[in-house]
Amino acid sequence: MKRHHAVVRVTHWVNVVALTIMVGSGLRIFNAYPAFARKGETFCCYPFAQKPIPASLTFGGWLAGARNWHFAMMWVLVVNGLVYLGFIYLHGEWRDLVPRRGILRDSWEMVKFYLFVRKDHPHQGKNNALQRLTYFAMPIVGIAAVVTGIAIWKPMQLSGLTNALGGYVWARYFHFWAMLVLVVLSVAHIFMVFTVDPYSIPAMITGRYRESWSPEARNARPLIHLLPKHDRTPRV
Amino acid sequence: MSESLRKQAGRRDLEPERPLPASRFPLPASGHFAERAGIDRRKFLLAAGGAAGSLFLAACDSFGPKKAKPILQFAERKNESLERVLYRHSSMNVPRASAGTTGGAFPSYFVSPQVPVWDESVRGAWRLEVAGLVKTPMKLSLDDLSSLPRTGYRLDHFCVEGWTAVATRQGVRLSDLARLVGAQPQAKYVDFQSFDDDYHESWDIESAMHPQTLVVYAQDGRYLNAAYGAPARIYSPVKLGYKNTKYLTRILFLPERNGGYWSDQGYEWYGGV
Repeated sequence: MKRHHAVVRVTHWVNVVALTIMVGSGLRIFNAYPAFARKGETFCCYPFAQKPIPASLTFGGWLAGARNWHFAMMWVLVVNGLVYLGFIYLHGEWRDLVPRRGILRDSWEMVKFYLFVRKDHPHQGKNNALQRLTYFAMPIVGIAAVVTGIAIWKPMQLSGLTNALGGYVWARYFHFWAMLVLVVLSVAHIFMVFTVDPYSIPAMITGRYRESWSPEARNARPLIHLLPKHDRTPRV
Repeated sequence: MSESLRKQAGRRDLEPERPLPASRFPLPASGHFAERAGIDRRKFLLAAGGAAGSLFLAACDSFGPKKAKPILQFAERKNESLERVLYRHSSMNVPRASAGTTGGAFPSYFVSPQVPVWDESVRGAWRLEVAGLVKTPMKLSLDDLSSLPRTGYRLDHFCVEGWTAVATRQGVRLSDLARLVGAQPQAKYVDFQSFDDDYHESWDIESAMHPQTLVVYAQDGRYLNAAYGAPARIYSPVKLGYKNTKYLTRILFLPERNGGYWSDQGYEWYGGV
């Protein structure tokens, strides 16, 4: 039994590439005007106006290059996202992702476990409560990024959408926030994969995964009990 | 990843003479390759961090692989087709009520080393030439333009850099001008040329005939000053700022597109908003 279906594995890695390029090129575009206010006005809600993002975090080389990458890669992101969402809807994987009753209580138990307040790993199925919340939020924030992106791509021809988001300035601000949330969730995800369950990396490539090495079986916290437990049951 | 690490990480690269480092948790031979190769936590993190880091650095501030250029150009063509489907003559730009008029804070861009100014003593009287695929080519003075039916809108300006600004633009609808000179149906494109060096940008005829596409000679109720494109410029909210040629000299109706100053350098030719 594979842990992840091939469609999920492929769309995951396509998404890694697409999202990385979208964020990098988006930050390069942002650096052409690293602020949100209309010219001659001030904007309430961004304290770092006129401070560009470090160039090392950007992609595309210059504004036109970044725009060309952004407007090409957006199709990969959207089509890949639709394939993924369509697949998990039809194939049933959505059941592993939608929050269940008590998700907040279960998340709190996970937080307590990671903070050493609780000794034993809470019982979990495929994903723990925090993963469930994260993986459920990612597509939603992704959709928000796409919608706000369309609103600032076509603020004239699709002005209804742009106005519904509060106009171009706010739509651009929300687009930035959607990117920020996606980056924070992704960085947290990558950190937890490497420090808690690195065995899920091959599982996302080949699909193979051992339940006996799961974080629950190892009682694993970040960087603690990283190696699999020795199987102490006598062999017959 | 260092060579020695690579050797230890890849099972096939292990030297047979060398004993495997002892694992803290001796496992049967069917164990995961990580244990068989003797990768401990530190090595694993180093290797993983190194691999991720080098990948990341390779992408930093990069123009991306050159081979991607045809793909990017393909995407630009497809995007243009979609944008032309989305285009509506009836969609009108109305700045938000909360948006103040930008006034003197409106940026002024040009490509010449200095603000381009039409020097009548050298170049003679300024005229706007309207020519190409038209029945009656014309050369219009500023007075001629001012005497044509005047249209004004308070409009958003969408810059490719991401900022916006608001100004009232007054001038002549390009569609009125096209009727006046008798633009022919074969004219599918329009080129807007200037005396700001060789700055020009060509447009699709649909965008050019939008009711908010104006040959502007006044901004915020005053004749244009040199910084904002005097004596006349094209302005339309259907296009990004760089498509709106300032310091106009010639409007050419053409059967083919004719590129543009920024579009030839890599910015989207369509530049629609």
